[in-house]
Amino acid sequence: MADDPDRRKFLKVTSCAIGGGVGLAVGIPALRLVTDPATKTTVTAPSDPFDVGALDRFRVGAEPRKIELIASRVQDGWTTARDVVIGAAWIRRVEPAKVEAFSAVCPHLGCAVGWTDGKFLCPCHDSLFAINGQRETGPSERDLDPLPVQIKDGRLQLTWVRYRVGGATREPA
Amino acid sequence: MSTRAFLRERVPWGYQPGTMPSGASFAYVFGTVLVWLLALEALTGIALATFYSPSSTDAWASVAYIQDRASLGWLVRGLHHHGGSAIVIVAGIHLLQTAVAGAYHKPREVIWWLGVVLLALVLGTAISGYWLRWDQQAYWAAQVEVGIAAGGPVLGDVIRGLAFGGNEAGNLTLTRAYAMHALLLPGVIALITVVHIALARRHGPTLLRRAKAAVPRWPQQTVRDVIAVAIVFVMLLAFTISQDGVELGAPADPTTAYDARPLWPMRWLFELRALAGGAEQLVAMLAPFVVGGFLLALPLLDRGPDRSVKVRKAWLGALAGVFAPISALTVMSFARDANDGALAERRAKAEARATQARKLAATYGVPVTGARDVFQTPPMARARKLFATRCEGCHGADSEDRKGPVIAPGHGDRKWLTSFLHAPSGDEFWGRTKLAKAEAAMKPVELAAPDLADLVEMLYAESGATDVDAVKRERGLAVFEAACTDCHAREEGMPGSSGPGLGGLNSRAYYLSFISNPKSAFHMGTDKSQMPRFDGELTLADRDALAEYLVWLRTATPADLAKLPDP
Repeated sequence: MADDPDRRKFLKVTSCAIGGGVGLAVGIPALRLVTDPATKTTVTAPSDPFDVGALDRFRVGAEPRKIELIASRVQDGWTTARDVVIGAAWIRRVEPAKVEAFSAVCPHLGCAVGWTDGKFLCPCHDSLFAINGQRETGPSERDLDPLPVQIKDGRLQLTWVRYRVGGATREPA
Repeated sequence: MSTRAFLRERVPWGYQPGTMPSGASFAYVFGTVLVWLLALEALTGIALATFYSPSSTDAWASVAYIQDRASLGWLVRGLHHHGGSAIVIVAGIHLLQTAVAGAYHKPREVIWWLGVVLLALVLGTAISGYWLRWDQQAYWAAQVEVGIAAGGPVLGDVIRGLAFGGNEAGNLTLTRAYAMHALLLPGVIALITVVHIALARRHGPTLLRRAKAAVPRWPQQTVRDVIAVAIVFVMLLAFTISQDGVELGAPADPTTAYDARPLWPMRWLFELRALAGGAEQLVAMLAPFVVGGFLLALPLLDRGPDRSVKVRKAWLGALAGVFAPISALTVMSFARDANDGALAERRAKAEARATQARKLAATYGVPVTGARDVFQTPPMARARKLFATRCEGCHGADSEDRKGPVIAPGHGDRKWLTSFLHAPSGDEFWGRTKLAKAEAAMKPVELAAPDLADLVEMLYAESGATDVDAVKRERGLAVFEAACTDCHAREEGMPGSSGPGLGGLNSRAYYLSFISNPKSAFHMGTDKSQMPRFDGELTLADRDALAEYLVWLRTATPADLAKLPDP
């Protein structure tokens, strides 16, 4: 009886079914937990514009200046912190009433773009951009990402946008 | 070539399930259940590790995040915690069953020894894991446990240094506990478990007393194993859900007393320590070694070969003599706590604090300065606490022995200014101060309604408020020049000839300067104010926080205030 092939088969299937069921009952909650952050905004900062300073700080015709953007309050997972640098922008006063700003994030793969010899250069993969943000050489498929700026009461305000890196089209990440 | 044949050639290992020489039985399931529980701990542990942050500032916050904000985090954490308890219980059954059956007899002594070592390692893993949440319970348990371990006659400082990672509990305590709990101990447990099982398979199961015909392990024994696993899992799951996972206390706070208790498998030591009186340190340190030593020595003392209970009465009696007191002490300890009304009250208070901390963490996040500062996260929390302790007595609307003007929502707004000008010595203003009775007390301002409104607008503008009617303010300045400048001035920092300066009235800077030194010439002067100066009492940051709060109060309603959690 104990060696009845049908019974053995039944016991085997039962063992696998129960074992698999218990495994799934633990595995699924564990997997749900691990994948939880994948669909969440875990790092948040206020979306209102940054006050970059008085417009007078920027001279017409001067080289672009790198400005660190300091968020008043950043929530990062479980922590909350005040005055956290969340990005940087290259800012240039083109005309007395016209200011241009570019995200310092390279549109190719997200390294930090620097200013070298009159050009923007990404040191990771040598993407080179002109002073107006136009791409010249290197692997980047698009120009530097401009950031919205406005002048209000003699002060410069800039809105930070993080764009998706890679690709020729620009879309917020 | 089939994939199967391809692999057969290259990975020439076959699984030999073996046979059960005296038949399959539920008596044999405990080892498998333990292996499965260890696997559950590994799986849930890895999931938790993708969130956990072992630092004294972040640990509690990351656990609170798992518990309250990550999907099913409470369940995974609960299964991990109670799964650990299940291991201790099932391992205890496994050990007692082996002992009663005399299964440690030759040639299986090494299997027994490895099992005893595994139990000790499991307890070590449980204790180090208990620390990781870094709530009140964990923090104080760690303090006490290290205190006992380091209290011995030799090497105390070395043990403390190794356990804490330095002189005090902090970041290095948690990184070390984490490495122990998640890397070292599980690694060693896995290795020893493999050897333990390999030896058990090599020697085969101890024969059942009522032997049946031999059967293959797979599937006859396996099906019994998985049924047992399923039963244990369902019990574990039901218990975990009934407990809403596992508790998380308020963040570790070295300044707040807490009724710390060790993890339940160590409760007997807690009770024993209490009974030992002056010898507590020695007893608490030696008792685990006595128990462990006895278990390790058992196969050497009771050498068989007869496995019958009758012959081994003395040894089984000794075993009972060890485990019965442990059980009794455990029950006594829990019973004592259950009957302690004062303790229940303190626990309820601690629980309320924990609930508040978790709610705040879920709403505002935990400050990077540390989990303890989570209580400071609601708007104005610091200032409101300061106000409640330092200001409310004299300025609270409901305060029985109020000595100064009421400070409440709407303080310094247009309505407040108007009421003040109508009756500076009214009860809610200077009425209860010595100023009200002084000869030089400010008289009610008698102006035509439009003039008064203009003056109010001008005074209101001093606060730096942005919703000012510029035209009215302009007219108000003229009213001020005509009606007020005999006593007051409005230039920044300039006192009036006989009244306080009103430059920047009710602005943050004004409040800061007033709180710092109300007796300054710019404000009330030494003879007119009973309010003490606070520049020596409170830090600049605290005074500024209060000033910010007073500005906030101007536009706040009583409902806004009621919405904020208690300071």
